[in-house]
Amino acid sequence: MTILEVNNLKKVYTTRFGGSPVQALANVSFSVEEGEYAAIMGESGSGKTTLLNILASLDKPTSGEVLLKGKGLSTIKEKEISAFRRENLGFVFQDFNLLDTFSLQDNIFLPLVLSGKSYEEMSRRLEPIARKLGIGDILAKYPYEVSGGQKQRCAVARALITKPQLILADEPTGSLDSQAAEGLLRLFKEINQEGQTLLMVTHSVKAASHAQRVLFIKDGEVFHQLYKAGMSDEAMYQKISDTLTTMATGGGRHE
Amino acid sequence: MSRFFYPKLAATNLKKNAQTYLPYILTCIGTVMMYYIMVFLSENEGLGKMAGGSQVQMILNLGCYVIAIFSAIFLFYTHSFLIKRRKKEFGLFNILGMEKKHIARVLAFETLYVAGISLGVGLLGGILLSKLIFMVLLKILNFEVPLGFDVSGPALAAVLFLFAGIFLLTLLNTLRQIHLAKPVELLMGGQTGEKEPKTKWPLVVIGTLSLGGGYYISLTTQSPLDALTQFFFAVLLVMVGTYCLFTAGSIAVLKLLRRNKGYYYQTRHFTTVAGMMYRMKQNAVGLANICIMATAVLVMVSTTVSLYIGLEDVLRTRYPQNIMISTPMPAQQSVEGLQTSVKEVLAKHRLEEKDRLDYRYAALVGNQEGDTVITDMSNISNASSSVREFYLIPLEDYNRLAKRTASLGDDEILIYSSGSKYEEDTLTVLNRTFTVKERLDSFFENSPNRVSISGSYYVVVKDMDVVKAMEEARAKENRDDPSGYRYYLGFDLEADEADISAVYQDIRTALRSDYPSSWIESPVEAKESFFAIYGGLFFLGIFLGALFIMATVLIIYYKQVSEGYDDKARFEIMQKVGMSREEVRGSIRSQVLTVFFLPLVTAGIHIAFAFPIITKLLAVLNLTNVGLFAWCTAGTILVFALFYAVVYGLTAKVYYRIVSWGTSG
Ligand SMILES: Nc1ncnc2c1ncn2[C@@H]1O[C@H](COP(=O)(O)OP(=O)(O)OP(=O)(O)O)[C@@H](O)[C@H]1O
Ligand SMILES: [Mg+2]
Repeated sequence: MTILEVNNLKKVYTTRFGGSPVQALANVSFSVEEGEYAAIMGESGSGKTTLLNILASLDKPTSGEVLLKGKGLSTIKEKEISAFRRENLGFVFQDFNLLDTFSLQDNIFLPLVLSGKSYEEMSRRLEPIARKLGIGDILAKYPYEVSGGQKQRCAVARALITKPQLILADEPTGSLDSQAAEGLLRLFKEINQEGQTLLMVTHSVKAASHAQRVLFIKDGEVFHQLYKAGMSDEAMYQKISDTLTTMATGGGRHE
Repeated sequence: MSRFFYPKLAATNLKKNAQTYLPYILTCIGTVMMYYIMVFLSENEGLGKMAGGSQVQMILNLGCYVIAIFSAIFLFYTHSFLIKRRKKEFGLFNILGMEKKHIARVLAFETLYVAGISLGVGLLGGILLSKLIFMVLLKILNFEVPLGFDVSGPALAAVLFLFAGIFLLTLLNTLRQIHLAKPVELLMGGQTGEKEPKTKWPLVVIGTLSLGGGYYISLTTQSPLDALTQFFFAVLLVMVGTYCLFTAGSIAVLKLLRRNKGYYYQTRHFTTVAGMMYRMKQNAVGLANICIMATAVLVMVSTTVSLYIGLEDVLRTRYPQNIMISTPMPAQQSVEGLQTSVKEVLAKHRLEEKDRLDYRYAALVGNQEGDTVITDMSNISNASSSVREFYLIPLEDYNRLAKRTASLGDDEILIYSSGSKYEEDTLTVLNRTFTVKERLDSFFENSPNRVSISGSYYVVVKDMDVVKAMEEARAKENRDDPSGYRYYLGFDLEADEADISAVYQDIRTALRSDYPSSWIESPVEAKESFFAIYGGLFFLGIFLGALFIMATVLIIYYKQVSEGYDDKARFEIMQKVGMSREEVRGSIRSQVLTVFFLPLVTAGIHIAFAFPIITKLLAVLNLTNVGLFAWCTAGTILVFALFYAVVYGLTAKVYYRIVSWGTSG
């Protein structure tokens, strides 16, 4: 079943002081199936973050539509959009986005508290997640007291705890060292194997090679897609590298 | 590097940091102006030569010290805040290859610019404004306004000396900080460790006890004399309490709230409790400062305004009748002679006496302990709160004045209390015990009451024999001559001040030769010096009030700016995690409002608790009109709250602009 459908998305930024408008997305269309693990790659400035922000309903497209489980994001009222986002989407960001005023546990609870869940229910939900992510011991600490990898695992816990339809991750390994990054990717894979749909933006070929499918974005369009389909991580790694080289040398568009 | 590199860089830095430096420079200018004006006034020769002028200048001199000390502390504190925010910038310079001594040079130039602008503009403004303020002061004091305009050399010198010192100190302190810091620390700058604040229970306990103690003193102090000595102690306790409770108490309360899971994990409370904890950690001292300054402004302005407005009341309390004469009376004819002299003067001025009050009396001072009065003053300190004055008056005079036919036995008395009530049924004084036959609740209101602060009693005794006997016993005990009993004559006149003044002068002249040990008093004679003192206090209250308000505004502004930058990031994260813009706004607004109005509300509570003790203090200054003081206090609070709200509105705009930059939607 298709969980996310993106049709002819276009985004033009008009700058404040009458500078020339920037076209971040020209015409993006793709879809994500339930239980899929997809990665998005592309050069810096190709519009990946813009795309993710639109999918997250943090930003509005200039034209085109985004359907989540068949429901158009643009049809959701402004007032309900936050609740919708909270209940259906989970986020993991490059810079963690943990609040320094909360302990890690409270950071993870935040979306549930906003939905009005009781403390008992929150604890019940957190328990298995914390065990899986190995953060049970540090829950009482504050973000500034733990390492980057630990922070990111908490951010993942925060994304998971709402049992979202889709998890969006924008360069989640960007601030981590290779070991921590490896751990996170393994975690993503596990989560995915348990049925969680994931969409991840990344610069890292290594990270992308874990995904079942890789979308390449160039000049605001989906330039190419790669399916893993039973390939080993190493073979996938090689294929992604080749594609990136082709893209960089200005190779033609191929499907 | 070019010779002009450092001066140029310094100028660019100031421009780049205009958002925080401009208010700082404006405050420097403001304090320079105020200090110049205060010194100018307190040194002004013209003012010194006016009647009562020297008293005013004494008060203003006090103001100079307050402003000087306050400016030094305040500018120092503000500047360290500025530097804290700029540490990152210095760290960058450092990493880009500037040595610390180069940074020091840039900072020296910056300080030079700030000092130059502040002193230049401040002195110019001060010189221009001084004439205006001078005229305002003279108007307040009811003095004639002289012509002319002058610049005070000593004032200029004082300003230059003080502010050069302040600027130099701030520079040295900054250099010290830069010198001690490592580049990494500089880069980390303001955000070193968002450590969770610890609950400091000892401070909470100390704070609660101090605050409670201060309030308790205010509520329980009965006598005005005690109020005088206890007030500053109470102020000190309340200040300590405020600091402790703002810093430690707030955190403790928030932590308790957080421990209550049912409360804490509710949508409405969750972000607020955590946000408040963070804010209180950052701002507690600043908020306590605001609270204390607000309280100071409110107390100063409300008391000085009510003293000034109530000046007529004050005069009336101090001088209940227009003309008040008292003379020792060894012989009957001297009373008649005095009455005749007064009558002649009145006839000459074609005036009639009104509400005449005259009686013979003897005065006793003693320490009241229950129903016993100890008149042996040798081992009693004068400032003791239970010192009372007793005026013994023969029944004959009382019956005549009150138009009554009361009768008394040898050891029976009627008693009228002014100030504290006399509760006992008997009165033992100088080994003689009297029975209170009746408590009078009127009649002696207009009697001269020279120690009204300690309270006094009018005791009506059977006859002059008793009065004489008591006076002799007193003299014997204290081993001094019997000063004898006296005769008091007081009355009002229906005339304008000039006429009353003329009558006063004539009677005074008439009495001087025949009754050398008599005294005569009149409110008209005292009015000028009262105006000088109370007007001076009023002026000082308003002036310092303005200074404190300026400081409050600056602290508030900086608080908003620094919080704005910190909140911006948090604001964005919360939205990403699924809070709607409105929810975030609502939560932040309620936090900002709480933080903002906490000091004001606390100041209000302080004032409410201080009210009793301040009314007693005002009684020392002869203002017994509690209603007037209550109105002045309410008015001052209202005006201040309005002003505060306006400042909030303006600075909140700055805050929201910073916070909502770059947010989408
Ligand atoms: N708020 C904005 N206003 C104007 N232009 C913007 C804005 N955000 C992004 N852009 C522009 O849109 C384009 C795409 O930006 P985007 O952040 O989506 O790139 P990206 O693919 O995420 O890059 P990176 O890999 O470096 O994160 C860029 O040219 C950027 O300058
Ligand atoms: Mg990006």
